[in-house]
Amino acid sequence: MPTEKVQTDNPSRERVLGRIRAGLRTAVVEPTALDRGRVIFEPVSDPLERFQRECVANLMECALTVDCAASARELAQVLQSLPAGEIFVQDDPSLRRLIEMAASAAVSGRPIRWSSQGAPAEASQATLTLAEVLIAQTGSVLVTAACGGRGASVVAPCHIIYAHVAQLVPNLATALGRISQQRIFDHNSFACVISGSSRTADIEKILVQGAHGPRRLVVILQSGS
Amino acid sequence: MSTAAQRFLHDAAEKSADLMHREIIRRGMDSYDAAHLKGRARIKDWEAARQKCQEIKREAVNHLDRYLLQFEEKVTARGGHVFWAANGEEACAYVTNLATRLGVRTVVKSKSMVTEEIHLTPALEKAGIKVWETDLGEFIVQLREEPPYHIVTPAMHLNRGQIAKLFREKLDPAITTDDPVELMAVARRKLREAFFAAEMGISGANFLVADAGVIAISTNEGNGRLCTSVPRIHVVVTGIEKVIPRLEDLAVLWPVLATSGTGQGITTYGTLIGGPRRRGEADGPEEFHVVLVDNGRSQLLADAEQREVLHCIRCGACLNICPVFRHVGGHTYGTTYPGPIGSVLTPHLNGIKEFQHLSYASSLCGACTSVCPVKIDLHHHLLQNRRNAVSAGANKPSERWMFRAWRYAMLRPQSYELGGWAMRKALRLIYRLGLAGSAFDPMQVWNCYRAPVPLPVESFRAQWRKSVRSNGDSAT
Ligand code: SF4
Repeated sequence: MPTEKVQTDNPSRERVLGRIRAGLRTAVVEPTALDRGRVIFEPVSDPLERFQRECVANLMECALTVDCAASARELAQVLQSLPAGEIFVQDDPSLRRLIEMAASAAVSGRPIRWSSQGAPAEASQATLTLAEVLIAQTGSVLVTAACGGRGASVVAPCHIIYAHVAQLVPNLATALGRISQQRIFDHNSFACVISGSSRTADIEKILVQGAHGPRRLVVILQSGS
Repeated sequence: MSTAAQRFLHDAAEKSADLMHREIIRRGMDSYDAAHLKGRARIKDWEAARQKCQEIKREAVNHLDRYLLQFEEKVTARGGHVFWAANGEEACAYVTNLATRLGVRTVVKSKSMVTEEIHLTPALEKAGIKVWETDLGEFIVQLREEPPYHIVTPAMHLNRGQIAKLFREKLDPAITTDDPVELMAVARRKLREAFFAAEMGISGANFLVADAGVIAISTNEGNGRLCTSVPRIHVVVTGIEKVIPRLEDLAVLWPVLATSGTGQGITTYGTLIGGPRRRGEADGPEEFHVVLVDNGRSQLLADAEQREVLHCIRCGACLNICPVFRHVGGHTYGTTYPGPIGSVLTPHLNGIKEFQHLSYASSLCGACTSVCPVKIDLHHHLLQNRRNAVSAGANKPSERWMFRAWRYAMLRPQSYELGGWAMRKALRLIYRLGLAGSAFDPMQVWNCYRAPVPLPVESFRAQWRKSVRSNGDSAT
């Protein structure tokens, strides 16, 4: 895992840069920008309502819960609906607690692999992670490498996200702004804005849910503590 | 006529007469149109969004060197490699050498048009490496040993029956269904083995974000996610023009690309990757390489009229709306990038002599320009390419003579009239002899498929004069 600057043998680098700079010397007449300050996207007035609405459109499940106990019950229910097999969980105190509370028939007997033990197994039945923020405008969740790694949100047929209403931001611009402000990429090699379950429409433009990634994306969204 | 042009004419005639093909494309385009309109309605001010995207790309392209260097600095500081390739051969050689050096035997690829452009897969295969296309559409055309039909939906020319048959022949003779859900499941199972066996994942990039030093990939299936998460090496192959200045720019570019590409509000996975796996991360590739491909792009920077062609975000909207594409189909173009953007770009990348005919594969209706989310003036660029080809002497001598004669006549009304008279007489005779549409017919190209347009008895000028006389001054 190299983290220091590396040297790449780059015989054409200067040539390409030279060609770019030479090309840019050509003057190009460009139309002046038209009116500024036009509003591109409808402002989001009620982020929670919008997020839930967009989740439906994105074919994801969003369960609103009042407290930790309710979230644990919700988690147990989701896990019960899945076939037997290992689940992968981001190693985080809040998720350890949630798993403990949900320790009903659904979880007990199911092997758990924690992200501190490495990547999720190929045959994982589900993955459970946190998210950095939730985006109301597009019904998306933003995950980073810190949320259990890269595979955590794509390897298993079901991805469960445990989040709090306070993590909601109104729109994409805010979410991306936060990545910049918090210098997320100083500590993470990866981030992803996920908006729904994996899908394809490559055959006759017919929508098929569950292509290579999760068929189900479940957000357990808690409002209380 | 170049061989490419002859092939184009031949395939275009064949494809437009292929009713099954037309039906498949019509249905596909109908569902795209509906989704696209719905998607656009979700954006409050679509025109403002287009303008914003145009400005972002313009700023990036006009300072290409600066933004690329900023991107490179960030990536290398995190332990990633950035390789600058002047052309396709250099890019292929870099990736192939890397793969050989690191003992790669299997590569999984997610969709990337640049890798098609530089013919990366054949280069890797020549080195004995197995390459799997993992996007469902790409996987299908790879099994058919065909290039992608469309830059966003590579297998849109096939119906489920044809795909089921293909899977039966190539993957599993026991497949009985043609249900898209089942067919996807078959592909998923097959490719799953590849994902977890491959040592190298190759992806493209929709954007290179300069200030954050990350690549951005938009995918729906999750194959791009697996390609960039599971194998131990990740190679990104992309064009130099993909850079954008700021991460926040994606707040507009992502929704606009999704809307124009498929009609979605946003693509399922907007992935950002800034380097190899870091210490403490659960997974991810240990090596991260970005190959920046020039391959003729920097020449376009010097083109005062057409620099903006580099703004293209490869959404495919201009292909979908183009009446020519809808009739002749993607393969007819015989180029990596089909449709209006391909017709504009290909002569620049692959030579104006060989590919000038593509500038004429357009009615200049301007539909492409009207939908382009980064506002590229596509149909005017086609017109400029026609002019450029003529100035470069790429047109036929007979055409040059004809236009010279026409110009002469246009400047001399009497000779024009004489020419018109002679043409009417000659055509009338030819039609009377039943030779319409034959090699003797100057209107052959039109008449061989259609009933001849009835010839007027008198010229327009004669009719005009008469009407002036009968209407007195009202016609002046
Ligand atoms: S030219 Fe415009 S419409 Fe065509 S693919 Fe590029 S961005 Fe899309």
